[in-house]
Amino acid sequence: MATIHIHPKAQFAKKNSKLQSMPFKVHADCDANVEQYFNSYVKTTKDNYFKSSFRGYPLLGKEVPVPDGYVGLVLHESIKPITEKEERKLRITNTFSNITFWNWDKVPSKNDSIIKALEWIEIAEVLHSPIVEE
Amino acid sequence: MAECDGKSSPKFKTNVIKSLDTLESYISERDNSEDVFYLSPVPDLCKEYPCILGIDEAGRGPVLGPMVYGTSFCPINEQMILHKLECADSKQLNEEKRDDIFKNMLENSDKIAWGIEVISPNSICNSMLSRSKYSLNQVSMDAAIKLIRAAIDSGAKIQHIFVDTVGKPEKYQAYLKTIFPSYEITVAKKADSTYPIVSAASICAKVSRDHALRVWEFTEGLEIKSEEFGSGYPGDPVTKKFLVDSCDLVFGYPQLVRFSWSTAENALKDTAYHVEFEEIEKQDKKDAPPANNTSITSFFKMTSKPSIVKKEHEFFARRCLTRKVEF
Repeated sequence: MATIHIHPKAQFAKKNSKLQSMPFKVHADCDANVEQYFNSYVKTTKDNYFKSSFRGYPLLGKEVPVPDGYVGLVLHESIKPITEKEERKLRITNTFSNITFWNWDKVPSKNDSIIKALEWIEIAEVLHSPIVEE
Repeated sequence: MAECDGKSSPKFKTNVIKSLDTLESYISERDNSEDVFYLSPVPDLCKEYPCILGIDEAGRGPVLGPMVYGTSFCPINEQMILHKLECADSKQLNEEKRDDIFKNMLENSDKIAWGIEVISPNSICNSMLSRSKYSLNQVSMDAAIKLIRAAIDSGAKIQHIFVDTVGKPEKYQAYLKTIFPSYEITVAKKADSTYPIVSAASICAKVSRDHALRVWEFTEGLEIKSEEFGSGYPGDPVTKKFLVDSCDLVFGYPQLVRFSWSTAENALKDTAYHVEFEEIEKQDKKDAPPANNTSITSFFKMTSKPSIVKKEHEFFARRCLTRKVEF
């Protein structure tokens, strides 16, 4: 297994990005006109979900907070590893405290991957905290 | 972020359509990514005497802009007004003539009432690309039903309903009859050239669509006039050029365009980045045999060390969590 070095940029804590998790993959790595083509259409529904569309597909979204005591990091790797055993160097480019999680035509719920994955944090805490004898 | 649109009117300046100008402002004041509904004030004559009601649509085929459903109704004993207004098949009339007839209809608001349901291109796509696949035919029928119900609820004494068909007329007629059992219903092909009341409805729909396009404002902030995107019919060279020029590699098109149309789909396939929807992929793979199954023959192979792959607990798999680093 590899070791990962994370290099913080001095000012990283200031940058709070707006992160959105989409239910699709765009086969490209580039900047996108998110504000113009997506955010401008986002609406809040009566039951407090977000509503928008991507290429005509109806999307439903929900804000998922990063758990208390944690901070979300956006990492960038300039040199991609060739083998799995290599040491990797990642740079922090942004931080985030919320993710807007989007589903295709389905209300985001406890059954969605990100929301479920975040449960682990709480369980891990319980599992790894020292047992206090009563 | 805008709030979801309720149908409450005080937030809009224009609530009654009295002219082509107010038709335009009525439409442009409202969110063009949502459906817009309008029913004219209903004259007393329509509440006193039995009426005929017509339903027709405009803009079902084009790759861009809203699809508009229109209705008009008037007392049976006043139907001569339709001939006087020269209500005929809207497709046979040019835009100017249709605008004139529409204006004259507005001037006869003491005898004839009308309404429209403007179905936004975004809501057409959302329906067609929803999980349950709400078809264009169903969208159309629901718009027609909404208009008929609004006319009935307004207190008009509707007696006979004439509808231009979507699909097979017999089936559609039977369907409408189950919803409105106490009314006479005629569903026919080319009803707009046969029944003047349907022609009137067709003119309301067509005029509204034309003007909705004219006042279309791009939420995306693009400065494109309606002359620059054309009629929306796939054969129109202006529309073709627009589809090429206004393509965004990631988002595809502005929401004026109906993504669910094959013209738009094919054009995107050629120019924009490929997009894969997670869920659609998963659904396709459901039928495939489960991976990681040990084949029967492997038990007979003589190997000294059975390869043990350490599998993570199901808890993690279900949460899409994998270990990337050994600590």
